[in-house]
Amino acid sequence: MHPIFSENRRLFGYLSVWLVIGCLAAALLVVGDYCPWASALLFSLPVFLLYGFVALSAYYVCRSLPLKERRLPQLALTFGATSLASGALLTEAAAAWMSTIAVIATPWSQFEFTHHLQAAIFGIGVVLYLLSIFGHDVLIAFENLRKAERRESELQMLAREAELQMLRTQVNPHFLFNSLNSISALTSIDAAAARDMTIALAQFFRQTLAMANFEKIPLSSELALCESFLTVEKIRFGKKLDAKIVADTDLQRSLIPPLVLQPLLENAIKHGIRNIAEGGIIEVNVTQRDAWLHIVVENPVEPDAPQASGNGMGLQNIRRRCVNLYNERARVTWKQTDNNRFTVELTIPFEMGT
Amino acid sequence: MMHTALIVDDEELARRLIREFLGKHRDIQIIGECENGLQAVEEITHSNPDLIFLDIQMPKMNGLEVLTETGRRAGVIFTTAYDEYALKAFDLHAVDYLLKPYSQQRFDEALEQARLQLGREPKAVAQLIDTTRTTRILIRDRGQTHVITVEQIEYVEAQDDYIQIHTQGKAWMKTQSLSDLEAQLDPAKFIRVHRSHLVNIAFVKGIERISKDAVVALMQDGSQVPVSRAGHERLRAVM
Repeated sequence: MHPIFSENRRLFGYLSVWLVIGCLAAALLVVGDYCPWASALLFSLPVFLLYGFVALSAYYVCRSLPLKERRLPQLALTFGATSLASGALLTEAAAAWMSTIAVIATPWSQFEFTHHLQAAIFGIGVVLYLLSIFGHDVLIAFENLRKAERRESELQMLAREAELQMLRTQVNPHFLFNSLNSISALTSIDAAAARDMTIALAQFFRQTLAMANFEKIPLSSELALCESFLTVEKIRFGKKLDAKIVADTDLQRSLIPPLVLQPLLENAIKHGIRNIAEGGIIEVNVTQRDAWLHIVVENPVEPDAPQASGNGMGLQNIRRRCVNLYNERARVTWKQTDNNRFTVELTIPFEMGT
Repeated sequence: MMHTALIVDDEELARRLIREFLGKHRDIQIIGECENGLQAVEEITHSNPDLIFLDIQMPKMNGLEVLTETGRRAGVIFTTAYDEYALKAFDLHAVDYLLKPYSQQRFDEALEQARLQLGREPKAVAQLIDTTRTTRILIRDRGQTHVITVEQIEYVEAQDDYIQIHTQGKAWMKTQSLSDLEAQLDPAKFIRVHRSHLVNIAFVKGIERISKDAVVALMQDGSQVPVSRAGHERLRAVM
């Protein structure tokens, strides 16, 4: 069914436009000295109101020729034929109505339905139908646009959900198997340490699973995850690895996307600390400035080491996630300074959780 | 008969585990441990151990690059936690490897296998190394060792019995043939433009004819590299 019938307000609006058109037609009759106002209105209003319903058929005509598949000859033929037919219909209807009112209505000032008048009504009918086609085209295009927009936002939501799902199952296999190998080695060297490492590893995965369900989590949860992660990594890398995390107690409840800080630490170890013979310290600073939360991760890198080429992927991912989540109101930057330090800075809107 | 063994892994616990598993094999003498690829290259060249326990993912140079660099093929027992690309390559060439974490039993089997083939160069390993693209190149210069990535290489020039590798205004000398190096690099990125010249197309600014029968490749740093007729064809095909 035509979408206009789905809403009364729309239908009334549309019909009042046709009443105005009817009035204009009556005015033409008065100006043309065919008859006085009362008779002109009695004649034109019902005819044009009826034609308003006829013009709605343009919706189906437009729909039968989707915008993308239109070719000129076919277009001219369809639109031309339907408008001409509608114009003829209008003329016939006008003639029939005129003979009807001549019988039923008094007072009625009879006037002649000249060829001249017939041609004028026919022409008006064709033009109005073409306008209706045009209007429907615009309406359909607008509707399609809205549908596409809705579909896009749905897709975006799905993508975000898929991303969270992926995070939840995102286990770095290299980290897992190496940790298990370390535990295997520890069992005969230091059984208690092996147990501690097993527990830290389990805790790390449990925390990952728990927080990946949320779009945002309190900073304290992410920091707890980082602690478990560092506990495991410190056993693997021994004295080489140390970390200093500084975050105000007031900021513990501030909200951040899950799993953004932990991958930064992983990065710092993989591309920084691990390559340095004597190891190094990862420094994390979380601060609030005005409406923004800043997270800075800094680590030393091997001076001689080539700038890791694979480095970008993980960081790019974090940047994309933050930018998407905060609608462009987030910034993730990284740089390697001359004194062989690598810094990642993450800036997101400051939000306090409950 | 005693055999010597070298343990290469950047994690201490992983090295200690191998040490422990080797404990019951009285005929194996551990002559050293290395915690990165560079050390491994030095140690292999220096003491030529019978057996090498070699981790794939290591800082500075990975296990396969260590073998490329040293030319070593025999007596290698690979260990790895997880490395998609390496594992694929291993399976492709049917090269045996130890997946971490592994049991003493699995370790013993791999060791037994390696012992049987001692001194022989398994074809599978040779093939694996030949098809492995290098990402880093080791350069020894007055007692110092430098690592450069292949992306840094702008062009390479063959001299009498060594090659000169040009990177960011520096020229590194290395004893290797140009064809050897060419085989290790990605042919889509490195083009042999001349009998004695190899260029990284990422650093080629353009091709210029300087006389009737002399063409050069203009490099981003302003230098000109001679291009032969066949080299010109190859260069034009990719640019």
